[in-house]
Amino acid sequence: MRLSHVSLFYEGGVTALDDVSLELARGERLCVLGANGSGKSTLASVICGLLAPDEGEVELVGERVCAGGRPDLEAYRRARRSLGLVFQNPDDQIVTSVVEDDVAFGPENLGLPRDEIALRVARELHRVAMDDYAHADPSRLSGGQRQRVCIAGALAMEPAVLVLDEPGSLLDVRGRAAILRVMGRLAAAGTTLVHVTHFMEEALEADRVIVLDHGRVALAGAPEEVFAQDEKIAGLGLEVPFAARLSERLGLPRTCDEAALVDALCETKGTGSFVSSTQASKTHEPARPASPILQVEHASFSYGPRSHALGDVSLEIAAGTSTAIVGQTGSGKSTLLRLLCGLEAPDEGRVLVDGSDTARRRGRRAARSLVGYVMQHPERQLFAETVERDVAFGPRNLRLPADEVERRVTRALELVGLADRRDASPFKLSGGQRRLCALAGVLAMEPRVLVLDEPTAGLDPRGRAMLRGVLGRLRELGVTLVQVTHSMEDAARADRVVALDQGRLVADGTPAEVFSAANERRLDEGGLGIPRALRVARELERRGWPSLGDPLTTDDLVAAIRGGEA
Amino acid sequence: MALRIEIGQYYAVDSPVHALDARVKLCCALVALVAVFCSANATQLGASAAFTLGVLVAARVPGGRVIASVRPLVAFLAVLSLFNLVFVRTGEPLATLGPLTVTTGGAWAAVLYTARFAVALVLGSLVLLTTTPTRLADALDSLLSPLSRVGLPGHEIAMVFSLMLRFVPMLADEASAIMDAQALRGGGLDEGGPAQRVRSIAPVVVALLASGLRHADGLARALDARCYEGGSGRTHFHEQPLARRDAVAALVTVMFVAALALLGALPG
Repeated sequence: MRLSHVSLFYEGGVTALDDVSLELARGERLCVLGANGSGKSTLASVICGLLAPDEGEVELVGERVCAGGRPDLEAYRRARRSLGLVFQNPDDQIVTSVVEDDVAFGPENLGLPRDEIALRVARELHRVAMDDYAHADPSRLSGGQRQRVCIAGALAMEPAVLVLDEPGSLLDVRGRAAILRVMGRLAAAGTTLVHVTHFMEEALEADRVIVLDHGRVALAGAPEEVFAQDEKIAGLGLEVPFAARLSERLGLPRTCDEAALVDALCETKGTGSFVSSTQASKTHEPARPASPILQVEHASFSYGPRSHALGDVSLEIAAGTSTAIVGQTGSGKSTLLRLLCGLEAPDEGRVLVDGSDTARRRGRRAARSLVGYVMQHPERQLFAETVERDVAFGPRNLRLPADEVERRVTRALELVGLADRRDASPFKLSGGQRRLCALAGVLAMEPRVLVLDEPTAGLDPRGRAMLRGVLGRLRELGVTLVQVTHSMEDAARADRVVALDQGRLVADGTPAEVFSAANERRLDEGGLGIPRALRVARELERRGWPSLGDPLTTDDLVAAIRGGEA
Repeated sequence: MALRIEIGQYYAVDSPVHALDARVKLCCALVALVAVFCSANATQLGASAAFTLGVLVAARVPGGRVIASVRPLVAFLAVLSLFNLVFVRTGEPLATLGPLTVTTGGAWAAVLYTARFAVALVLGSLVLLTTTPTRLADALDSLLSPLSRVGLPGHEIAMVFSLMLRFVPMLADEASAIMDAQALRGGGLDEGGPAQRVRSIAPVVVALLASGLRHADGLARALDARCYEGGSGRTHFHEQPLARRDAVAALVTVMFVAALALLGALPG
């Protein structure tokens, strides 16, 4: 496969790809990185033969499909038969309501005989470990399982090249790990893979990495080479992998490989003299004697007679604190949030928001005026012609005077850093900005409690950093934060972590308590991991380091290791 | 506020009704539906109900599932019967309430039309519960294929139908999420006076349209990537020759229709 000097423009003079040249050898595993809007998805579409560029030449699986910006449609049709694509949202890719029928859809389109289709469906479902779900309804599967169905569907067409466009960005940790395992197996079997991703760690497995920026190839090379260029990577809105950051800060030879880093650390330990580690003095600020603003007492909730979403959950959340709720897909996290903001009342037990019981209509109304709810993918709620009007929607509904509406809109936009985009259309913002705009819409209601459902899901590193910054500012302003998250690093930054599994509370406490060694098995059973820094520390301790005091963040880990080396 | 759309949700279980060829099932169901709508007396209605019950038992679908799938239309049935009750003026007057008079004819019409509709609904939902959307679409595809010969998009109609079954529940979920989000910003559809309620529709509809377009974009990409080019050249995973059970189903349907006709011809 070869692209040379390919450029592609969208309507309104937007340059999606700018003079991109790229070659891909058979059996190679290429990873494409880049911030939101850098042209990654467009490149994926060009590689799959779904978009023809405006300039340049494209050769796909031996077919010369586009020369001098002129597509050869017949050649494109032939090439497409050997190209597979899986992208972000599995829901948009599954066309039927039965798993095996969906996998069969591609081969049917290729006009294969029935026996051959049956053979391929069985083979590919086995390959993605979904044999047991052949007759299941995809809408009842988890996101990760659905995405595996999509991969099986693409593989059943026996593509020469498989393009995966952010296949894991909407999945939880376990789902993403499963996709990576499947990709590893495919690579081992010699399938040519093009993987577009936001997760730097995933790029380490690739043979080659290219980084796109505004449609141009900014960096290219082996993963280690690309990630050696710290500053450039940061300038492109990305971040280097955790191991690289850590080795850099510890002054060790730079590596992107966590295992290699641990090995290196164990060696230094062997040569260096050791003082038993001074427990990293990490005193959490003493619990403020704040009154609870949210109280959940033995709450149970179910959506139907057979689906028990939440069972006997009790917790109290103090005003002004930040709480992270973790748990895998289907553990009841989102349901708990809906109870907290008064969208649902529990079937049993009580939920009190600042003292008012949400079982009654009046209580729910009171809860809603106090709690702001940022749903999953809140950018879906955007509707107005300008950012300003969208943000003003809430305050206007409260029938506030015009100058008060104005004040709140200005303040909310300043908080999220979108003050200069007031008059832009919300649909023209970047992915991260759209989410911040939706957040501003909720903040304009001036809630005392902000409840967020996976606020960073699907964002690139820059978007994630922006969002974390905004949440940090809100905390300083005394807003109580409750967020559902898949990221254990985010959870480690909260005052308090609540872990759910199958609708039940399995752990509740400070991050240090929840991620303690005693809890590790329980978390693992619930499909949850531990923060990366802690994982490295535990690995070191297992290999003979003295206690590192369970560091939760990179800073703590660096301090603990330095303390140990001194 | 949860919108749950249950129509067209396949219920997976092995049963003789599930195993029928979808084309045969669809044709039999259509014939039976017409027959049910033609029933005019109590015995015919009883026979129709018995037939439907028979199919239900053979399909091994729990009654609760069937009821759940027709529940959204119960309100429609209630209104229908009310209209018949009040507006049909044949027969003896039974009761008078102000300007409204209920007659024996009205009462009978209310029962008849409602019962007919209820039986037809259950029968229709049984087809959807026992046939996967793909098979249904394949069946429609092959039944509509004569249309393609005269230049009408028979296959495309079937495909659109199948995609509708797949995407409507998802869009409904999304609609309810957006409605919740806007409600929490004080723009609930159940708040304020009529004027405000109407105003509250726009934010939901615009947001939902935007999200529908996004899905359409994604779906188009997925269909292209999987080489979907319309009906020509496609094969079918589930293509199966007609079996004996299909003949049996056809025979049972014919017998049912004949029985209804016979019952209609009988006096009383």
